[in-house]
Amino acid sequence: MQFPVTQVGSWPRSPKLLAALRERRSGRMPANQFKTVADQAIQHCVDLQHQAGVDYVVDGELRRDSFYSFLTEKVEGTQLMSLAEMLDTVEDKAAFEEMLQTLDAPAFAIRNPTCVGKLRRRESLAVDELKFLRSLTDRPVKVTLPGPYLLTRAMWVTAYSVDAYGDKPAMADDIVAILRAELAELVAHHVEFVQFDEPVLTEIVHSSDDKRRTFM
Amino acid sequence: MATRRDAGDELAYAAELMNQVVKGFEDQVRIGLHVCRGNWSKREDVLISGDYQPLVSCFSQMNVKQLVLEYATPRAGDLAIIGKEFHEREIGLGVCNPRTDQAESVKEIAERVRDALMFWSPEKIFLNPDCGFGCFANRCVNEEQVAFEKLKAMVGAAKLARAELRG
Repeated sequence: MQFPVTQVGSWPRSPKLLAALRERRSGRMPANQFKTVADQAIQHCVDLQHQAGVDYVVDGELRRDSFYSFLTEKVEGTQLMSLAEMLDTVEDKAAFEEMLQTLDAPAFAIRNPTCVGKLRRRESLAVDELKFLRSLTDRPVKVTLPGPYLLTRAMWVTAYSVDAYGDKPAMADDIVAILRAELAELVAHHVEFVQFDEPVLTEIVHSSDDKRRTFM
Repeated sequence: MATRRDAGDELAYAAELMNQVVKGFEDQVRIGLHVCRGNWSKREDVLISGDYQPLVSCFSQMNVKQLVLEYATPRAGDLAIIGKEFHEREIGLGVCNPRTDQAESVKEIAERVRDALMFWSPEKIFLNPDCGFGCFANRCVNEEQVAFEKLKAMVGAAKLARAELRG
């Protein structure tokens, strides 16, 4: 096919889905109830892609907290932490807060999947997403996963991670193993396209200030 | 969230980790790599700026079939940097800014496709937005209706480009 049209992954969330995500995060909404809301949102997202005439369909990442922080629901040894909570681990708190403001970073919207213990895949990361998406479309589909470098960089927070792993490369070995297991399952389910997200690569080469952080 | 270390070492490490993940799967599924310059704010001035040149060597080491790259913002630089080096791979060409309130026109997207045809064959050019329309749970970067209009514009541009090739 010439010029296939697809998306990078996430789709805007409705107020209803946002409320459900919030309730789910705080443990006030049972999993099956959340699933009903998310399933409807994904069905709607897929309908719109069909209407628009997109060639490779995505599920809009609508079950996920964010494109990578959703790992905490699937992987043991992780904890979802807001940037506000992570402020505890930052030495120069005033500078960090100033930077959040300067960069227009939503400190309470971005949550980090911090490594707090040995990582183990409790359940598949995206196979359920793939299966549900398949049930809604006959078109080829794309599934997105956070890249191993992004995860290594984000999940390692020395104060929380050092007891379980000693150093970052040791933790990275387990992240690679988790992603390989996931990829094998997705392939077994005949996924057409797997996209790994490594947005932080630009930050490595383009942020001039050593102390600068970015949010992605 | 991340802090910065030596760029060369980090890029080599990123490529090494990716290759460990995809080893043995390269021929079984289309594997893409997505890179952008941040999607956490609608303010262009706070997002990262700079072309892909410093990432060329990292990309060339990574065993991925498709590069899914941001190109709808001038902050991403010249398409030729990637086009010259990676015409044998597929390009997921970013043709819509996911953070703006107005959909790009079919005409301007088709223009981007013509630029890409200078480097890639039509089967190797995928059209996509620069990043997701949502990203962080309680701060989406766009509204559904705008996102939908952008999808339609990309589909319209793909049709136009196919028709142009048929002559």
